[in-house]
Amino acid sequence: MTVMSGGQVGRSVPRREGPAKVSGRAEYVHHLRLPGMLVGKIFRSTVAHGRIKRIDVTAAQALPGVVSVITGEDIRTVIPHPYYGPAFHDQPILALDKVHYVGEPVAVVLAADPHVADAAAQLIVAEYEELPAVFDEVEAMTSKAVVHDTLKPAGTFPDLKHLEGKRDTNVALDFRLRRGDVARAFAEADRVFEHTFRTQQVLHLPLEPFVSAAETTDSAATIYTASQSPSFVRIEIARLLGWPENRVRVKTAFLGGGFGAKLYIKLEALVVALSLMVRRPVKISLTMEEQFYTITKHASTFRIKSGVKDGRITARECEVWWNGGAYADIGPRVTQKSGFTAAGPYDIDNVHVDSYALYTNLPPAGALRGFGIPQLVWAYECHTDMVAHELGIDPVAFRRKHILRNWRPQATGTVMRDAEIEAVLDRLAARMDWAKPFDRGTGTIRRGRGIAIGFKASVAPTTSMAIVNLYADGSCALYCSTVDMGQGSDTIMAQIVAEVLNLPVESVTVVHPDTDVTPYDMATLGSRSTYHMGHAVRLAAEEVRAKLAAMAEELGLPPGSNVPVAELFRRKYGMQAGNVVGSGSYIPAYKSPDHDTGLTPNATPYWMTGGTGAEVEVDTETGQVRVTRLVNVADVGKPINPKIVDTQLSGAAVMQLGFTMFEEMNFDGGQVTNASLADYKIPGLRDMPVMENEAVAAEQRDGPFGAKGVGESGTFGVSPAIANAIFDAVGVRLTKLPLTAEAVYRALRAARGQPLAEE
Amino acid sequence: MTPFDLVEPRSLRDAAGLLDPDDPSVRPIAGGTALMLMMKAGVFKPTRLVSLRSVEPEASRIQVDDTTLRIGALTPLASLERSAETRRLLPAISRTLRTLSNVRVRNVATIGGHLAHADPHMDLPPLLIALGASIRVVGPGGERTLPVESLFAGYFETSLARNELIAELSVPLWPQVRAAYLKCTTRSADDWPALGVAVALEMAGSSITEARIVVSAATERPTKLSGASVALRGGRGDDAALRRACDAAADEVSPMADAHGSAAYKRELVRVYVGRAVRAALAAGGAG
Amino acid sequence: MVAENRTIRFTLNGQPVAAEVAPHRTLVEVLQDQFSLFGARESCSQGLCGCCTVVVDGRAVSGCLYLAAFADGAEVTTVEHLGNGGRLSAVQEAFLEAGAFQCGFCTPGFVVMASQLLAEHPDPDDDQIRHYLSGNLCRCGAYPEIIQAVRLAARKQKGG
Repeated sequence: MTVMSGGQVGRSVPRREGPAKVSGRAEYVHHLRLPGMLVGKIFRSTVAHGRIKRIDVTAAQALPGVVSVITGEDIRTVIPHPYYGPAFHDQPILALDKVHYVGEPVAVVLAADPHVADAAAQLIVAEYEELPAVFDEVEAMTSKAVVHDTLKPAGTFPDLKHLEGKRDTNVALDFRLRRGDVARAFAEADRVFEHTFRTQQVLHLPLEPFVSAAETTDSAATIYTASQSPSFVRIEIARLLGWPENRVRVKTAFLGGGFGAKLYIKLEALVVALSLMVRRPVKISLTMEEQFYTITKHASTFRIKSGVKDGRITARECEVWWNGGAYADIGPRVTQKSGFTAAGPYDIDNVHVDSYALYTNLPPAGALRGFGIPQLVWAYECHTDMVAHELGIDPVAFRRKHILRNWRPQATGTVMRDAEIEAVLDRLAARMDWAKPFDRGTGTIRRGRGIAIGFKASVAPTTSMAIVNLYADGSCALYCSTVDMGQGSDTIMAQIVAEVLNLPVESVTVVHPDTDVTPYDMATLGSRSTYHMGHAVRLAAEEVRAKLAAMAEELGLPPGSNVPVAELFRRKYGMQAGNVVGSGSYIPAYKSPDHDTGLTPNATPYWMTGGTGAEVEVDTETGQVRVTRLVNVADVGKPINPKIVDTQLSGAAVMQLGFTMFEEMNFDGGQVTNASLADYKIPGLRDMPVMENEAVAAEQRDGPFGAKGVGESGTFGVSPAIANAIFDAVGVRLTKLPLTAEAVYRALRAARGQPLAEE
Repeated sequence: MTPFDLVEPRSLRDAAGLLDPDDPSVRPIAGGTALMLMMKAGVFKPTRLVSLRSVEPEASRIQVDDTTLRIGALTPLASLERSAETRRLLPAISRTLRTLSNVRVRNVATIGGHLAHADPHMDLPPLLIALGASIRVVGPGGERTLPVESLFAGYFETSLARNELIAELSVPLWPQVRAAYLKCTTRSADDWPALGVAVALEMAGSSITEARIVVSAATERPTKLSGASVALRGGRGDDAALRRACDAAADEVSPMADAHGSAAYKRELVRVYVGRAVRAALAAGGAG
Repeated sequence: MVAENRTIRFTLNGQPVAAEVAPHRTLVEVLQDQFSLFGARESCSQGLCGCCTVVVDGRAVSGCLYLAAFADGAEVTTVEHLGNGGRLSAVQEAFLEAGAFQCGFCTPGFVVMASQLLAEHPDPDDDQIRHYLSGNLCRCGAYPEIIQAVRLAARKQKGG
């Protein structure tokens, strides 16, 4: 890729929306008020699995101020087949016939006053015939309790075309990868190590909870939604209504956090259906509590086995069970894509992966910052440390020996390129002063350190489109459907336009997603925007540049003349008038993996690599762990905005720190028992370690200006680095997240031969 | 929240008269931080709230005499935290307040509400019990005084009648007392405590003449641990005595299991934190 | 139970205002619904995240746990009032320069709390910063930058 000379890329341009955000004036859907608007309050299931026998809404309907109470059957009057989902059409807009988890939406009260809607929702009574439920992902493989009677593939995304309709199983997808001859390698190995690791169910918890509003006529619907995927919303709502795309308009604003939660359909189908029924605008804003019933991160179980011959890992077998909850959402893609890299960023000749997406009667799980990769890295990097320890080899040296280098085939057979895995490891070791002696603490406080690295294949194949509109005074607007949910995409995209057109970045405005105005984008997810949308934006700007050059030529100017843009327009149109519009679209090459072997020559357009080094202090009397330092190093290609890259790395690590140390959804019979910020704790200022971040010298040669994605890379290594550091400090090994003080304490007692009684 | 009536009497006595001893849907509200949580969660649906915000100004004053720090029940926790008298005379209270919830809550929540809510996770009750504090209560029939220790009848339950209001908290000032409060969180740093331990030691020179040790959060209400006190009384708090006190504390406490930890684990936390709290009290200057 | 609405009069961002409110309305609801001020916003509904922070009579409170009726006669200040005639305050400028935000939803709450902190402690140490801001949550994890921003704002306010 030719690098232009605009000087706008590679620079820490301050965020465009900064002044609006620090002064409280930034626009969020949360704030939206529409004339005549009703608000909806959802009544939710109290059983984990049951047949709906009766829903009595009379008392709710009778409360003064209530406009309407709507159930799943009522929805059918406007949407006869009200099931949606990106992988399977398994999720009803409101429960029909059965409920599949505690917290599933069953009915909605509509009123002008949210307090009235709230009070009325508490007056609804539902009776269920309870059915056997299954909660554990491994049990779900063989359970007699089957969550869905039949599975109906959606067929929307090209990478999920192979999903099959099935009956009488909880397995939504099984991905397998077969490379080399694992059985033989294990038979020939000197030593074989096998461990099982688990992760808990957690959630995104954006501080702006889910919110969507709709206003409709008989022939058109406008949806205002805090969504990461406005284009998908339009297509899916159009499908549900049987309308052409151009009758559905989806608009977003800034998002108060997304992290993978606000993808696909969440409240959008519901508000559209309600608005069509009552012929008024309808808005639903979830509470913090309701986020726990909406979308979560997969709990998982990962059995990993390695064979070592002559000090080298020759075989690795991975079996992963993903707890997808009651609806598939995007779980099948999490299961498949993460399966590509389940064996870790190592050069291993024989690899065997089985990865299962399972339905259970828990709140649905989807994408959360890393798309399954943090769960896998947690397991394979603890396992790698355990193997190194058993072999008596330094964990950094052991990793370096196996590192997957460029031009070597990865487990899928895809040849590695532009993946600076070794550089990430080297910079981590250097920053951690790995070769130097380490202060191990004294008395009851013991110190330890650990590292971990992970990598990820990007989602593919996906499409991004962009339009650049240059105005007659030389300023311009970018129309793209990438959603700025805090990751800084507005700034990055403006920098790319400014770079190509050689403009100051301040002259570029970014038009926020509005499907009537901004062109298609697959979604803002999976660290894909900088690369995919970045390319589309670059191409659109290059088209503008080419058209400008043509305009200059038409006006008889010599090539390379420096007549200002505004002057060009004046000469052509006789005044300040006209536009130059350029468009760009981008879809990278991709080859689906073979169904039976998981092998493909092109698994991903680019690889993301991230690693973390952790230092901890463990209180040996209580098991309390203080993480004192986190060093986050990643290969992000060439950063377009180094400051934004830095905050993305550190923000991702902070989030994963919460998932590592204390975040956990607790359940009792499928009911979440800690659905609030008082009882589900996320990291605060006083949990912060010293944070250091580094983007290694790298270039994604086919990326826009050498860049690639960064949003998730900071999450990869955090959990295993901390667990490895705890082992280093006190010699106990935890295999289940979160790494609570009690878990550490119990392990310490067990190691002393004095296990603490369960009580 | 559901609609309710809001009345704003001018005195605590009048406020008590507006409360109904038989109607749990009528309650007093001061800062309201705890009550609002219950109302927003739908677990409390009042018909009427009696606001204490316009009562006599004496009810939010801090006063000192030779033997007592007297704190009006309507005093915001932040005012108590910042009070020069508290810092000088009862620094353990100032230090504890700094770790209590957050600045915004302390700006609004009152000491009376903090006590009357009877949430076992609250930070001040164990310390106030250890310090031998008492409260003055007004009701329609008059006033009575009771030790803070006997205010807590159970989990979120007080011994007050529905139409009684806390008017004032009195904390005795004994220069020879050393006190400390430690709390232990097991999840994020700003979590509710899994355990709170308050210690007040009456000293004669370097000898402990009396020890009061109170645990909270792990138990259904703040609880005095008498066995641990006995182990310390008459000694100097040396390692052996501390070990005996810690073991006695762990033996006699009845922790509740919850999301912060199992009962067995909390028992071990008690064993550790009682020792740490006694050491902290011994290390603290006069009056803790 | 029919509760009577009442008229409350208070000073909002320097201007005397009046509002008709039901007793169960919170301050943050009234600021949004009746005054179109959206800088204070409800998120956790429990006073823990700080997104709804407003200043009442000089003290920061959680607007979602504060009955609007209690603002009668008070002086209420929101993030919209920081700065001077459209110019950003030193704290706001510092948040920009340090990049101390990502999604921005929690940012007004942090900005208001940081302003309160600096009013009380013009030269706060790290412990004071952590203590004062530990009741605000940022899910994007911009904490390191927020601490930098507060230090920077302190320098700016000193005229440095």
